Amino acid sequence: MRAASPDAMAPSRPGSTRTAPPELPDRFWTQPRMRTYLLFDATGIVYLLVGLVALRVAWALAAGPEAWQRLMQSFANPLYVAFHLLALVGSIFVGVRFFRLFPKAQPAHIGPAKPPPRPVLHAMLYAAWCGVTLALLVVLGGLWP
Amino acid sequence: MKALLLRLEPVIWLLFGAGIMVGTLLLPGYLLTVALGAPLGLLPARALSFERAHEIFSNPLGRLVLLGIIALPLWKGAHHTRALCVDLLGHRSDALIGSLLYAVALAGSIAGILAVLSIG
Amino acid sequence: MSELRKRTFVVTRFDPDVDHAPKTQSYEVACRPDWKVLDALNFIKDEIDGTLSHRWSCRMAVCGSCGMNVDGEPKLTCKTSLADYGDRVEIAPLANFPIIRDLVIDMDGFMEKLESVKPWILVAKQKAAEEGTNRQSPEQLAAFKQFSMCINCMLCYAACPVVSQEPHFLGPAAIALGHRYNMDSRDEGAAQRNRVFRGEGNVFACSYANECSEVCPKHVDPAAAVNQAKLNAVIDWATSFVVRREG
Repeated sequence: MRAASPDAMAPSRPGSTRTAPPELPDRFWTQPRMRTYLLFDATGIVYLLVGLVALRVAWALAAGPEAWQRLMQSFANPLYVAFHLLALVGSIFVGVRFFRLFPKAQPAHIGPAKPPPRPVLHAMLYAAWCGVTLALLVVLGGLWP
Repeated sequence: MKALLLRLEPVIWLLFGAGIMVGTLLLPGYLLTVALGAPLGLLPARALSFERAHEIFSNPLGRLVLLGIIALPLWKGAHHTRALCVDLLGHRSDALIGSLLYAVALAGSIAGILAVLSIG
Repeated sequence: MSELRKRTFVVTRFDPDVDHAPKTQSYEVACRPDWKVLDALNFIKDEIDGTLSHRWSCRMAVCGSCGMNVDGEPKLTCKTSLADYGDRVEIAPLANFPIIRDLVIDMDGFMEKLESVKPWILVAKQKAAEEGTNRQSPEQLAAFKQFSMCINCMLCYAACPVVSQEPHFLGPAAIALGHRYNMDSRDEGAAQRNRVFRGEGNVFACSYANECSEVCPKHVDPAAAVNQAKLNAVIDWATSFVVRREG
């Protein structure tokens, strides 16, 4: 996989002896944590596509009932189903990793404001996730209104 | 182009932050219903019939939620795809790739605004 | 005393006057059970091959000198027990750094990045001695204390994917140190440092791989510092449109 840039950590002026370029160990990109991180970044591709596909929802609603029917049939195609399932798994994977890393990324204070303790913030994120998902399931699932 | 991207980093990061936070909050609910549930017939017929779907998403809050589902994932997606490209392809093509990806996100966001506003 | 265990150490060698590129050399060493990797390296240099060059000093994980890649992972060799390794141990210089000789890497790039964040208390006007010392509450200290524990061992740079690809990126330790001062209640230099953070050194290049925090031997959690610094830098950028400030 990708080697280190030959200029990685290079000083602005060369030293008095010739140096060998920076190296990366063979397992740099393939070790388990790095694999997870690369997968996390790769979900970016899925998110790009999900957003663009969601444009079809708005366009179909603007166009009328026949367009909406066609959209529903289109989304029932196995390729779309597989894609949206992948997006579902991807968004959960992203949420889990992001919620784990988010609390420690909050500074101890911004002016007088302080964030909640990290475990509390972690729980709040999951509560919000469940709440929003539940609300969408209830409304879009037909339960209410 | 590199200099322009550097100046825009704070804005891009804010959009990315909103994208990963709100986008991830919204996606499972949307995917389970609109993207999968209704097309596969797993929901009651009236849930996302055109009439009801139209009523929900022509409501101002509904338009906002739909816009969130369209636009916010684009910024998370562009930012992380760019990071992946730096990891796999190095920094020399970063300015070009980053600019292209954010242009796609911007275009998609504008298209999204126009699209949700056009829901009659 | 338990038995000695024979291990093979595959060590990177590079003499700039002789070698075109780094190569490896194997040494067989009968290791004592309580040895760290550094003990084996010192044995090799003292008893087998005096030409081997490596940095080390305190032997107790506070000086930051002995960082190397052991079996592909950045480690402090004085703190890394051979008991956790097998019969064959690979020792390479710290990843992502130019190599001066054998296991010794060029630190100058790191020093430049460190200096660029002005890692000292910056005040507009020095207090007169008669006014007494600065006062700081435990809570104020807690806002940055963790980030002050860095020993500049550079393991985080060896682990960071962005450091490997973006030569201008300030990197975990430098950003963490700049953030340490930004969060210090005695300091008034946050605006200056945030400008550095938003410049070529670009804190936003960090993609939150979190590898830096995984390898840090002093539990500084530089990833937390860098990502806190991003938020502070954005707030600084946003308020710069509203508030005129010096420098």
